[in-house]
Amino acid sequence: MIRAVAVCPQPPLLFRELAGTQDAAEDLRTACRRAVSQVLTPTPDAVTVIGGDERTAVWDAALAPAPGDFGGPAGGGLDGLPLSLGVGRRLLEEAGWAGPFELRGVAWDASREEVEELGEELVSREDDVVLLVLGEGSARRGDKAPGYVDDRAFDYDAETGRALAEGDPAALLAQDARLAHELMAGGRAAFQVMAAAVRAQGTPPRAAVGYSDDPFGVMYVVATWRM
Amino acid sequence: MLKLGRREFADTDLLVMAIVNRTRDSFYDNGATFAEDKALDRVRQVVAEGADIVDVGGVKAGPGEEVDAAEEIRRTAGFVAKVRAEFPDVVISVDTWRAEVGREVCRAGADLLNDAWGGHDHGLAEVAAEHDAALVCAHTGGLAPRTPPHRMGYDDVVRAAIDDTVALAERAVSVGVRRDSVLIDPAHDFGKNTWHSLEITRRLDEMVATGWPVLVSLSRKDFVGEALDLPVGERLNGTLAATAVSAWHGARVYRAHDVAATRQVLDMVATIRGSRGPVRVVRGLA
Repeated sequence: MIRAVAVCPQPPLLFRELAGTQDAAEDLRTACRRAVSQVLTPTPDAVTVIGGDERTAVWDAALAPAPGDFGGPAGGGLDGLPLSLGVGRRLLEEAGWAGPFELRGVAWDASREEVEELGEELVSREDDVVLLVLGEGSARRGDKAPGYVDDRAFDYDAETGRALAEGDPAALLAQDARLAHELMAGGRAAFQVMAAAVRAQGTPPRAAVGYSDDPFGVMYVVATWRM
Repeated sequence: MLKLGRREFADTDLLVMAIVNRTRDSFYDNGATFAEDKALDRVRQVVAEGADIVDVGGVKAGPGEEVDAAEEIRRTAGFVAKVRAEFPDVVISVDTWRAEVGREVCRAGADLLNDAWGGHDHGLAEVAAEHDAALVCAHTGGLAPRTPPHRMGYDDVVRAAIDDTVALAERAVSVGVRRDSVLIDPAHDFGKNTWHSLEITRRLDEMVATGWPVLVSLSRKDFVGEALDLPVGERLNGTLAATAVSAWHGARVYRAHDVAATRQVLDMVATIRGSRGPVRVVRGLA
């Protein structure tokens, strides 16, 4: 049974060693750590990490994140996890999670059918599971944003934010995949897998939002749902 | 020997390429030289300060106001002709990714096509060949023009920059650009974050070791700003530090806003390296 969900964004900035000596992402980092700690209490049987990627796949839990691809003092790149799952893995490490976990990538362009199917799979487990879902809203929120500005981003993100704040899986499932893609809203597929699972399980979530801001032109939301 | 249109330079010469933007919205000069008379004044100033090359650009590198080919030509071609008329010997470079623009500015007298977007328009190399112009081959990690990098990762950014720029350079030669008229540019911050740009700078000797002359465009860029936590207006010292390191590693051409300062830094590094003699030596020898 899914006991709780933590939603965190997946910028490379969440690898502390990349953010500079002054930590450009301090507030976000604190909020993510808090959300992950919260959902790990009481201790679940397992954690499932869900994040967007080029393809839908389950990844080897022994693989490490690969922040080196983005640079940093360690430099160099290693064959590692895709970014979203790497960030999730790092957040679990920082929270001191030593229990079992699963790493599931979902294709950025996963269809409605696919997200429903993946959601069903998650709900079929009998043990107590916490989901750590990586994703964010649009990266097109201003002149300096990585994706420049698209005026449609604001309504799209407001709706995502509302759905996460109110524990509304149906609203997340209603978001348009094509629009999400055009707006560089990387969390669409992962959020929808989570939403499909929570809706299939049937227990209405108690939701809380710990962070909601776009300091760098990308919409980051940190939220927890408890079932 | 490096041949840039009508001028030839020795392999030990370190060249300053002065930025003259015909844009309203470029990140540092913000429209200061959009008006033609202001732009010509700037050309006169930079030539007096020792610029070897004048780099005319009609489109901001980052996202913003759309500038199509016709508008870009309007901003650059006529201006190139005016600069050519007043300065018969200065090397004129045009910062463009478009073959169509390249053709018009070469007709107007441009010597060098500075393609900051890494061959996005395959026809640009052919235009350089057609007009016996020189060409810059840049690494952008595959980004389309005017796209900022978003979470771009590399196994080895220096390897990637070398592989891509050398491939572009070889291709340019194969379509008829003179081998001694091709430059490679790692393009700091294009398709790269600060870590990547720092590593490119630290390992620039590897790019120089390919044998292709290296151009660097460091001036007031974000990697300098993020290293020092300083806004655009305060990045000169950091830029000059990166310039000195690049010169030590052996880069040939330096694209800069601050020509006089850059010229001095290059002259000092060249003198330290021994490729340039100190100008007037008396102390201790009298």
